[in-house]
Amino acid sequence: MSAVEASDLRSPAAASAYRVRAVARRHWLVLRRSPHRIFDVLVWPVVDTLLYGSIGLFAAKATGGGTQTGTGTGTELGTGTAFAVFLLSGTVLWHLVHQTQISLATGFLEETWSRNVIGLLTTPLRGWEYLAGVGLFALVRTALSTLAVATLAFSAYAFDVTSLGLGLIPVAALLLLCGWAVALAVVGLVLRYGSGAEALVWGGLSVVMPLSGVFYPVSTLPGALQPVAQALPTTHVFAAGRALAGGGPTPWRELAVATLGTVTLLLLALFFLGRMVASFRRRGLVTRYS
Amino acid sequence: MTARGAAPPPVLEAHDLVKEYRRGRVVDGVRLTVREGERVGLLGPNGAGKTTTLLMCLGAVAPDAGSVHVLGHRLPAGRPAAMRGVGFAAGYLPLPDRLRVREYLRLYADLYGLRAPRAAVETALEHFGIGHLATAIGTELSSGQRTLVGIAKASLHTPRLLVLDEPTAALDPDIALRVRTGLLDLCARHGTALLVTSHDMVEVERLCERVVFLAAGRVTADGTPQEVARQFEQRDLEGVFLHLAEARDRERARDGAGAGTETGAGAGTDVRTGAAEREGAGAA
Repeated sequence: MSAVEASDLRSPAAASAYRVRAVARRHWLVLRRSPHRIFDVLVWPVVDTLLYGSIGLFAAKATGGGTQTGTGTGTELGTGTAFAVFLLSGTVLWHLVHQTQISLATGFLEETWSRNVIGLLTTPLRGWEYLAGVGLFALVRTALSTLAVATLAFSAYAFDVTSLGLGLIPVAALLLLCGWAVALAVVGLVLRYGSGAEALVWGGLSVVMPLSGVFYPVSTLPGALQPVAQALPTTHVFAAGRALAGGGPTPWRELAVATLGTVTLLLLALFFLGRMVASFRRRGLVTRYS
Repeated sequence: MTARGAAPPPVLEAHDLVKEYRRGRVVDGVRLTVREGERVGLLGPNGAGKTTTLLMCLGAVAPDAGSVHVLGHRLPAGRPAAMRGVGFAAGYLPLPDRLRVREYLRLYADLYGLRAPRAAVETALEHFGIGHLATAIGTELSSGQRTLVGIAKASLHTPRLLVLDEPTAALDPDIALRVRTGLLDLCARHGTALLVTSHDMVEVERLCERVVFLAAGRVTADGTPQEVARQFEQRDLEGVFLHLAEARDRERARDGAGAGTETGAGAGTDVRTGAAEREGAGAA
């Protein structure tokens, strides 16, 4: 072996970039070799699209709205058709936040399942580099999943998600950030409480879903829950998405509220994760994975 | 203690480390210095505080008191910089599922920040004679093979400090010999310091020039294997180990019998002397 001199090491900036890439690549390789994870990435999203797309189509037919669900096609939306459009746009947007959250959180869980936590802690890998690497992997996984959902929605129900227009970009970006924020909080809980908190990876967002008005305005929720719903940034993102799906202009005010809420949520999640990491080191919890 | 002339610079300095969990104090004022090129064994019976000390020295566990400097960087703040020159492997750690050996080594070569990761991986595979395992998935390997891959991983970047927790626990004698030869070669050629924990005292005597014994969270001896054996009036390190394990068992039995509930070190037994102090031993 030849001695590793300083010249054998990358510059700090380049080393960081390669570490981020290495973490993302590691998780990509694991995904490729894990057939059962196809369920999370493709099967469940497709099942959801079939379920909500068919319910929407049935409602459209029952109310005489016809079979055309696409927006921006020149077809005027009847009540039933609008319902179908809201269901399908809600499904596509929901999978953005859901897949991002689950991809990032299961990425970290993979390290605990394979007892790789100590290994990572004894390298120069920084916390943000690890998160960026898993975040990059989560982005690719979410893209795959969303592509599957959007393709099925278009081919089976003539719903073209791109018809939501450029307003879709900030909506999607905010949903990705919300997904990351929830995932960071879940990772913090898993660090602190171990496998007992793992169920939150798959179930945590289910609590947020009905309160966020993914498929309906939160004004339809019971009165006592409406203030809670309004406090969630996801509620405002989905409201913006629904406004776009209904053919309206980009709701900038709603997006501004959603941005403020999302940034606050992300900062809180990072703070919480930092506290949990400190507690993890202080309590010597790394020995769980040795 | 070994007498030294101009001592090489330290690669690891741990001062007065203390760690307490719910079950009591597991590390109690440990001081440990490892110098460049030194091969040190950190020994002691189960529950002596070896792994906790090791994890604190690596920045994976935060001490309640005391400080750790690795390669001049104070942990935990300086951990990323310090770890550029540190390698760690443990015989009990599995390889990540669904990664081939070459991919696993490449991951770590990138994490260490090596400019030529592919070449480093191939060199490590060759150095430890595991080239034939390059395309195997981690779960397909025997425990001995996993250990070899783990040590190859830890030495990819030719670290200045190599920390090994129970490295030869699952190895056949021929593989253990190969590991030992590879490690001694690494240390001789590059001045890599070695900090090893092991229950195999013969292995330690072959590999380490200095041993530090822990008992109940405290350093009870620090010197060459011969010096430490003499200190405890034993023939070899195995004798020292058995002596300390007996002292620990007596302590536990006394605690269990209700003669005081103190769980910390030195609760009536002075393990530093050749024979355990008999004070209160009647309860054992």
